[in-house]
Amino acid sequence: MDNSIWISILGFLATITLAFVVGVFYGGLVRKVTARIQNRVGPPFYQNFFDIVKLYSKTTAINHGWMQHLGPAFAITASVTSLMFIPILNGQGDMMWFENLNFKGDLIFLLYMMVFGSLGMALGAGQTGNPYSAIGVSRGLSQMVGYEIPWVLALVAIMMQAETTSITGLIDYQNANDTWMMFESPLAFIAGLLAMLGMFHYAPFDVPFAPAELASGPASEFGGKYLALMMTSGAIMAFVKLVLFVDIFMGGASNLVMLLVKTFLLYMVPVLYGVVSPRYRTEQSIRYFWGWPTAIGVLGVLYVVFIR
Amino acid sequence: MPNDKKSQKIVDIIQNAARKHSLFVLAYGTGCGAIEIPPTMTSRYDAERFGIRGMATPRQADVLLVTGYLATKTLKRVIRAYEQMQDPKYVIGFGSCTINGGMYWDSYNTIKLLDKYIPVDVYINGCMPRPEAVIEGFIELQGLIKDGKANGATKYKENIDWYRANQKKVIKNWNMPDYNW
Amino acid sequence: MNSLLLIILILLGGAVLAYLAKRITPMLSSIVSFLAISSATAVFFTMTSSTDIVEVNIRNFTLEFGLNAYSWLFGAMVMGVSALVSLYNIAYMKGKDRLGYFNSNFTLVVMAMMGILFSNDWISFFIFWEIMTWSSFLIIVYNGIEEGKIGTKYMIFSAVGGYAMLMAIVITNSQINSFLISDLISSFAGLDMGMQSLLGLLFMIAFSVKAAVMPLHVWAPRAYSDSPMSFTAIFSGLLSKMGVFGLGIVLISVFAKSTNSNIIVYTEILAWLGAITGVMATFYAVIQTDAKRLLAYSSVAQLGYIVVGLAIGTKLSVMAAIFMAVMHAIFKGTLFMAVGAVERQTGTTDMTKLGALVRKMPWTFVAALMSIIALAGIPPLGGFIGKWMLYESLITSDHYFLIVMTFLSSTAAFLYSYRFLFGIFLGQEEKEFENVKEAPATMVIPMMILAASLFFFGMFPGYLFEPIANSMEFLGMGQVDWSMTVLSNQWGDQVDTLSIVNSIITIFGIAFIFLGLKNRKKTRYVTTKDIHTGGEIPTENENLTYAVDFYKPFERAIEPAMRRKMDFYYNKFGNGLESLFEFVRRIYTGNGQTYALYVIIFLVILILFSEQIFL
Repeated sequence: MDNSIWISILGFLATITLAFVVGVFYGGLVRKVTARIQNRVGPPFYQNFFDIVKLYSKTTAINHGWMQHLGPAFAITASVTSLMFIPILNGQGDMMWFENLNFKGDLIFLLYMMVFGSLGMALGAGQTGNPYSAIGVSRGLSQMVGYEIPWVLALVAIMMQAETTSITGLIDYQNANDTWMMFESPLAFIAGLLAMLGMFHYAPFDVPFAPAELASGPASEFGGKYLALMMTSGAIMAFVKLVLFVDIFMGGASNLVMLLVKTFLLYMVPVLYGVVSPRYRTEQSIRYFWGWPTAIGVLGVLYVVFIR
Repeated sequence: MPNDKKSQKIVDIIQNAARKHSLFVLAYGTGCGAIEIPPTMTSRYDAERFGIRGMATPRQADVLLVTGYLATKTLKRVIRAYEQMQDPKYVIGFGSCTINGGMYWDSYNTIKLLDKYIPVDVYINGCMPRPEAVIEGFIELQGLIKDGKANGATKYKENIDWYRANQKKVIKNWNMPDYNW
Repeated sequence: MNSLLLIILILLGGAVLAYLAKRITPMLSSIVSFLAISSATAVFFTMTSSTDIVEVNIRNFTLEFGLNAYSWLFGAMVMGVSALVSLYNIAYMKGKDRLGYFNSNFTLVVMAMMGILFSNDWISFFIFWEIMTWSSFLIIVYNGIEEGKIGTKYMIFSAVGGYAMLMAIVITNSQINSFLISDLISSFAGLDMGMQSLLGLLFMIAFSVKAAVMPLHVWAPRAYSDSPMSFTAIFSGLLSKMGVFGLGIVLISVFAKSTNSNIIVYTEILAWLGAITGVMATFYAVIQTDAKRLLAYSSVAQLGYIVVGLAIGTKLSVMAAIFMAVMHAIFKGTLFMAVGAVERQTGTTDMTKLGALVRKMPWTFVAALMSIIALAGIPPLGGFIGKWMLYESLITSDHYFLIVMTFLSSTAAFLYSYRFLFGIFLGQEEKEFENVKEAPATMVIPMMILAASLFFFGMFPGYLFEPIANSMEFLGMGQVDWSMTVLSNQWGDQVDTLSIVNSIITIFGIAFIFLGLKNRKKTRYVTTKDIHTGGEIPTENENLTYAVDFYKPFERAIEPAMRRKMDFYYNKFGNGLESLFEFVRRIYTGNGQTYALYVIIFLVILILFSEQIFL
């Protein structure tokens, strides 16, 4: 049999493992950082591994119907597929292992792929019939309309600047000009960063999950393996978002160490902002995103069009 | 398979270790004991360093923490919450009230021993138990889980008729669905 | 016999026979309509494109019928979807009254659409256009007198469009002395500037009415939602595409020949109108509680994207627009059929009342789910291809704020997509709908065929790119590159649909085996009352449904944009006209002496200004 197929399958597995480990590890680190800010000791950084292993080992005795099985399956499909289409490393170093399907998709495809999971998850949550889940979904989708606007403005600005919509193209542009997009079009970067706050659903934008208000939102009826799968896909998705951001605004990373440093610094922005914030109401959150972040995004696009 | 038992044992050790270090708590705040939970979880005593974490719904939780006396009305809700949790699951009875009714010994509408209605794995005595005692109780439970001795859920499944009879004795308007897993 | 005439005759005969067949038994009428449409479809697909041309000479002008690549594509869409819908129609309309009336008009609409597509000259185009308007009007008022007002609105707007078209046709003839569409295209450059603008404007108004573009859309939502669903599948899916068909000819073939540089302003304005239509209609769709109304607004929004694509006029955007037009016909047809099936089985389409039908009507749910995924533009189904090409074309042609507008509306579309599925198929089980059964097979099969085709076109869009590329070549856009599974824009960025589909299917398959099959056997089903309710045990009568004001926070956030409906401005315009006429009426006092005064005043003016007037 052809050797390259096995290599690419191994590459897929390596990428998934990397994303899973890094995502879960970051999740634990976030809990640790939060704890330190609150003057606590906090759980060990590997706590989330224990949580996921435990959840996988729990029995799942009930279901509310087919969609409850399919919801987490949709979620993991979306996160792993998105991962396959994202360049993990920028090609300066040794990227053979993480190439996957990088050249087969582009940013606009990825935008939609990332929504696929939320919608599938929402369908699963809807099947359970829990009103908390429905409220959570309603809030989450509403908020998504909010932050997608500055996010798209930021993406449009950088895509117009580099005259490409592919992520590898954007990385090549940054490498060729020996610069980072965040310095090339800073306004777009700021708009994208503000949109990212909403994308990670940390406070003050944690309206869909809203602990102490909505049980745990869409996930209310999901326990055991379902929850484990959701946490897995959540961890991978967090990694995907971070790597995407690093790729398009920070020139990608040439090796794994740089990747970890960049993504970690980036991840701290929503986390640190969230630790000291209370929670918005849904419409406040939407209006927030349609206010300054959108204005900055529009200015960013105009900056690219008229000045660059 | 010859080494089936051995591999099962290894899996058990990993699972028990993970279960021990990750306890999702559904704190059922009945009675006055609930006031001791916030200091246990927050900065002063920080139970999260043992992997103990609050959860909002019974579907996701491992430990049911019953904090204080249980009126018969409340008991019904506690049983419901317990039955909605997924295996493996544990119960911690908190305060004297769950052991002998405490100061409600001669009350007409509170139960005296929680263990008659749902299987309790660990009791924390005292009125009130301080956060240190609560953490002590959790560590006791972790030890039991590690040794595979925290088997309240299997006990409940095996003796469901006895538990049901006890429950029906005190709960007047019985409309609970069947226990189904 | 010529196959074009044969198709028209079969459909016309079907319409007459459907009316007569009702005398024997009402259901026969639907069957006759189905047989007529499906045999016309068979004839259509056995015929090769762009062969026969029929000329009819009447005194000094020529009527010409023919088939070209562009009309073949739309014809294939019309015939394919309407054949399936008419199969669905048999069971859907069973037991309703006035079936002869309905079915003959139904068949007549299909005939008129085919006639429009076959017309090579404006006269027959106009005649078939009016037949289409009238027969669809008759179906809108099918439901009775209280629907009259919707019918009136539809008729008024269609009349505006019709007159605009008639005027444009007459002007065309007076200028170039020919009614042929090809003559207009070839000699458009020779017209003077003002005439080019005027003709463009008139044609754009004429077609925008049917394509429901912003200020002319107000008839659409109610007309779509209040007709019988089997007709709405055609009305929203296909009939609106006739407007797109016309806009395609005008915006691409005719305007490309224009020497007037101002014409680009028209297309820019039209693109913006399309984008604003998309956003506003999406917002209105989000706040609807009736599933039919929701889909109706969503149709208007989707047509907005198509108009954007056509108006931008680059190769990729036109390809996107036509692709989306075909996809919209398929998925919106399926969705309206699904709603019709739900309505037939439960008697309501109110999303606040329905719930948890997924266990009762699983096949309808699957069809609706596939169509919703396509509607939302989520890969790997066909809807994504169109959306992708539209965004890429917008960004490569420097329409940076249009892309944000379209993106806003397509993100907000997730809201109503979810609302639709949740409101009808998911959520709490309602006691009222305990004994609901799946719709009959003749209703489910057409839906499933259409839903499967969405998947097929998502995987191999090339099968649709080929006819689209041919028709764009016919429209005069030159050679268009396409490939079977790879989409690309002019910056050279590519998306490979096959690897997307493979990746999704593989991962989903693994996850599905793990969760859906392996895990499902170990679990048992519990009702939707068995949920986390804080330990409380809900009784049978307790309502746990979250369905009223589903998107209240979103409504609050967009409240400033929703304060005024377009209807408000039309009412204001109407009131203004009324008071103007009231003023004019005051001139006629009914008093003979006042009239005498008018005469004297007139004479005085005449005498005073006679020199200026008569010299």
